[in-house]
Amino acid sequence: MIERPDPASPPPPPPLAPPIGRVVATEQKPATPHQFHFWTANETSIGIGAIVRVEEPGNGKGETGKVVYGVVTDGFAYSDLATPLHDVVGAEGDPAKAAERPTVRQEIRLWTAAVLRQTPEEPLQPVPLGQVHVATDVDVAQALRMDAYLGGAQPTAIPVGLYTSGGLEAPVYVDADFLLGPEAAHLNISGVSGLATKTSAVEFLLSSIFQHFPPHKGRVAAVCFNVKGPDLCFLDRPGTLDDEDRRRYQRLGVAPEPFQQVRYFAPFKADGVNLNTLRTHPDLVGDVEPLVWGLREVLDYAEVLLNRDDIDAKADAFIDFLADRVVDKEFEDGFGGVHRVVTFADLERLFRSIFDGLELAGRGGGDSWRTHHIATMRKVRNRLANISTRCKGLVTDDGPSNDLPWGRFTDRTVYVVDVANVDPLGQDLVFARVVSQLRERLERRDLGVEAVVVFVDELNKYAPADGPETYVKKMLLDISERGRYLGLVLFGAEQFRSQVHRRVVGNAGTVVFGRMDADELATPGYQVLSPATKIKLATLPIGELMVRHPHFTQPIFVRFPRPAVLRGRDGVERYPPTADLPFEDAVARQLVKLDRRVRPNQVKDVIADRREEDVRRALAHTRQTRPHDALAHFKKQLGGRVAAAPAAARESVPPLNAISDEPY
Amino acid sequence: MTVPGSWVEAVVAAGAVPASHIPEASLGRGDVDEFIGADPVEGGELRVEPLSDARPLAPAAVCFLDGIEQWRVVGYGGITPIVRAHAAAAIRRRGPERRLRTVAEATAEVAITRLDRLPAGVRRALEGAGVRVLEFPAEEAGQPARALAAVRVEVQRTRTALERRLGEAWLRALAAEEWLVVDGVLSDSAALSEHPRALGVVKSHGAQYFEGAELERALTLADGHRTGVFRPKARGARRDIYSWYVRLWPWEGNDLLYGLLRLEARAHPETIALASPIAAWIRAERAPVATPDRRWDRLLYPIHDVETYLRARAPRDLTPLPASRLPRTAS
Repeated sequence: MIERPDPASPPPPPPLAPPIGRVVATEQKPATPHQFHFWTANETSIGIGAIVRVEEPGNGKGETGKVVYGVVTDGFAYSDLATPLHDVVGAEGDPAKAAERPTVRQEIRLWTAAVLRQTPEEPLQPVPLGQVHVATDVDVAQALRMDAYLGGAQPTAIPVGLYTSGGLEAPVYVDADFLLGPEAAHLNISGVSGLATKTSAVEFLLSSIFQHFPPHKGRVAAVCFNVKGPDLCFLDRPGTLDDEDRRRYQRLGVAPEPFQQVRYFAPFKADGVNLNTLRTHPDLVGDVEPLVWGLREVLDYAEVLLNRDDIDAKADAFIDFLADRVVDKEFEDGFGGVHRVVTFADLERLFRSIFDGLELAGRGGGDSWRTHHIATMRKVRNRLANISTRCKGLVTDDGPSNDLPWGRFTDRTVYVVDVANVDPLGQDLVFARVVSQLRERLERRDLGVEAVVVFVDELNKYAPADGPETYVKKMLLDISERGRYLGLVLFGAEQFRSQVHRRVVGNAGTVVFGRMDADELATPGYQVLSPATKIKLATLPIGELMVRHPHFTQPIFVRFPRPAVLRGRDGVERYPPTADLPFEDAVARQLVKLDRRVRPNQVKDVIADRREEDVRRALAHTRQTRPHDALAHFKKQLGGRVAAAPAAARESVPPLNAISDEPY
Repeated sequence: MTVPGSWVEAVVAAGAVPASHIPEASLGRGDVDEFIGADPVEGGELRVEPLSDARPLAPAAVCFLDGIEQWRVVGYGGITPIVRAHAAAAIRRRGPERRLRTVAEATAEVAITRLDRLPAGVRRALEGAGVRVLEFPAEEAGQPARALAAVRVEVQRTRTALERRLGEAWLRALAAEEWLVVDGVLSDSAALSEHPRALGVVKSHGAQYFEGAELERALTLADGHRTGVFRPKARGARRDIYSWYVRLWPWEGNDLLYGLLRLEARAHPETIALASPIAAWIRAERAPVATPDRRWDRLLYPIHDVETYLRARAPRDLTPLPASRLPRTAS
C-alpha cells in the first residue's frame, strides 16, 4: 500500500537532521534561481543524483525563510595546491614520497545542484546561501511535486522506484495521468543491451501499474510484442527474488508476484501445426494460442507489405478494390467465372482467371481489367503471395484465422504477442494490425478496457530517426501524438534513443534511461545533462535508472527491484523448449488440448494418408469452433476419405523390332 | 570576531573623519633587527650536523599554533589615527589521520589610538563604544607615519599575547605523546620555553646570534643539515632556551635565508639528544609545500594551514581589496 498523506492532518515535520553542507556563491559561481553550489565535508554520503534541501535562515520575526530543493548534478574536489608542479617539488619527484607527507592538504568537496522546487514558488529568486540538508521522504515528495498526486480524493500515483542517497530511501511515484494519459502519456526507455535492464524495468512498471492504476480511471491491459528470444515468454511464472528485492517491493507498496492473467499468442511455424515460440515446454505450451491470419486480416493492412517503390495510387486503388468489391463477396470476373474469395487460394484462383481471360481476350487487345493495369495487378499479386510465403504459419493460404480477443480484453491482463522468430515483414504486419485494431477499438470504446499499454522493444527498428516513411512508423507517430486521448499508451524501448524518430521519443511524457553507451551520450540529445550525470549514466549499475517525468523538473535516479516474473533466459532453462513434433503428433496435441478425451492414436488414424493442407484446414476450423466433441468435428471438417482408384492396366504393345540383348 | 564593528560608526558619527587605509605592514610581521649572541652547547663551537642518518621524530599527534593580525585606519581625530585591529590565534591538531582540525582558537578586536589627542566628542564616543582601546605612546603621536609604526607594534603585541595565552592554556591539555609547534619564538613564555614537547619554529632571521665563521657556517648551511645546538644569550624578559638552525631546501641559486629555519626548544640536555630527530622531522614537514604563500620555503604547511583558517574567519572588511582609491564622488 502507498502511504498517502492526509491533507487534512499533514504529518508533523520530522526533526531536522544536522546540515551536511552550506550554499556558497561567488562572482564566478553565483547562485541562481535554477542552480546553486554548496560544499560538504570530504566524507559525505551524497553524490550525483542526491536530493538536498536548502533552508534560508528565518528573519528573526518568527517567519521561516525560503526552502529550496535541488538535485546534485555535478561535483568538484580540489585542494589548496596552486599548481601540480608544487606537488612534484614537495615529493621531490617521487610519487611514493608524496604519500608519506605528514599532513594531508586541505581539500574541498563542492557540489552543483539544479533546483527542483522552491517554496514559496513566487517570487522566483536566487537560491539563498543557507544550510544544506539531506532530503527526507517528505522532502522528496515535495521536491518532485509528488504531493499533487499522492494525496487527494483520487490519487494517481504509480510507484516507479526508490530514490536512494545518503542512507535515505524514498519511494518515487509517477502520475498515472501523465504516464497513461490523458494529460501526457507514453514512456520511452533506452540503454545498452544487457546492462540497462530495459525489459525488467518495463515488467516491474507494468506490475506496478496493474496494482496501482486508479480505479476511477477504469480498466487497463497491456499488449507486449516479444521481438527477441524468450524475453516475455514467462510473465506468469514467478522469478527469483532476494531479500533486498522483497524489501524494495514492500517499500514501494507493490506485491512481488508474477502477472496473474497473461495470454500468449504466437504464429505457427511453416508446418502450420508447431507454434513458432520458445514457450513450447509441455507444461506451458497449452497456454499459447496460435495467431493465424487469413486474407481479410492481411488485406486490410496490405500497405504494410508494400515497400517504398511500390507505393503508388494505382496499387492502392487495386488493393482497395479487392478489399471492397471482391473479398467475401460473390464476384464475377468478367470472363464468365464467378468467385467467392475468402482465402489466399481463392484470390490466386481469381488472379489466374483474370490473367488467363486477359490473355485470351486480349490477343492484340487491351492489357487492363476494370481499369486496373495488368502490371499493377501482377505487382499486388506478387506482394500478397510473398507474405503468404514468407510468413507461412502466420498467414494461412486457406482456412480460418485466429486472432487476439478483440472486444473482449480483460482488466489487468497482459497479452503477449510472440513474433520473435517471424520474418521482419511479418513482424511489421503483426505490429501494424494489432496496434491499428487497438486504436480503432479504443476510439469506439469497444475493446473491453479503457487503457492499453503497448510495449515495443527495438523501437529504433520500427520508428527509426531516418529512413523511409513506412506504414509502421506513421502509425507509431500517430499513437505518440494522439494516443494519450484514446488511452493507447506506447512503452517503447531501444538501445540508442538518438536513432529513434524524435517525434516518437519527444512525445513520451516519461523518459527512462538505464546504463547508456558513451557514444550515445555524446549526441546532441543529451546536452542538457551535466558531464557528471553522463558519467553516472554510463556506469549505472543494473537495477538503477534515471527517470524524467513531467512533474520532475530534473531527472531523478531510482532503483527498482527485479521483476517478480521469470526472466526469459531462466525460463528457457527451467522450461526448455521442446523440439518440433512430427506433423501427426502436433495435430494430436492440439486436438487433445481442445478436448481431453481425444486419444492421440485416434487422431493419427484419422489423418493417416490425408493431405496436410486438408488436415490444417480442419484443425483450424475445429480450433476456431471449439466444439464439444473436437474429434468428431475434426473428422467432419476433414471429410470422407476418397479411396484411390486403382490404375487401369495398360495394354502392352510389342515392339516393332525385337530388343536385342545388347545393353548399349 | 567578538565585537561588531559598529563602534567605528559611532566614532565617525561623533566627528572622526572616516578613513579606509590598510598599511602593507598589517599583512605580516617584518624581521626585527637585533644582535644577541649565543653560546654553543653542543661542542665548543657551532658545528654542522648532517641529518641523513637521523631518524625523524614521529609524534603521534602534533598541534600547530599560529596567529594573524589585521588592522585598518578607520578614522582620524584631527591627525591622530583611529585604528581597528583584529588579532586571532588558533591551534590545529594533526592526528594519525594526518588531517588538521581546530582544537582551540581566540580572537581579539581592539581600537588603537591616542585618546588624549582626539576631539572630546570622538573620545567619548570611542570610550562608550564598548571596544577595548589601546594607546600608543604619547611621544609617537603627531607625525602620522610614526604613529602608524607605533600602532603596528601595538597590534603585534596584541597578537603575540593572544598566541601566548592560547599556547599556555593548551599546554595543560597536551597529551603525553603530543607536541606543540609554535610559529615563532618560545622564549616569550615561561611555560612554553620550559615544556619538554613545545617547539618554536622561527622563519625570520633578523636576530644575529653569531659573527664571523660561525655566522657564515650557520647561514650557508647545506640542505639536509643542521647546526649544533646553541643557547641564545638572554635578553630582556626572554627565557633560557636552546636553539639550532635547519635547512629545508638548498639555498644555492636563491638566497642565504632560503629554506632556513631556526628551531627553539627548552634548555635541557634532552633537547641536544633530540636535536637531529627534531630537525629531521621538521625537514619532513617540507611537504606538502605551503604555496602559494611567498614564504613557502620556510613556512611549514600546517602553520600555513592555521593562517589560512584564521584568515578565512577574519572580518572581511579588514582584508585589503584590489579596489581603486580614487576620491569618492559622493559624500
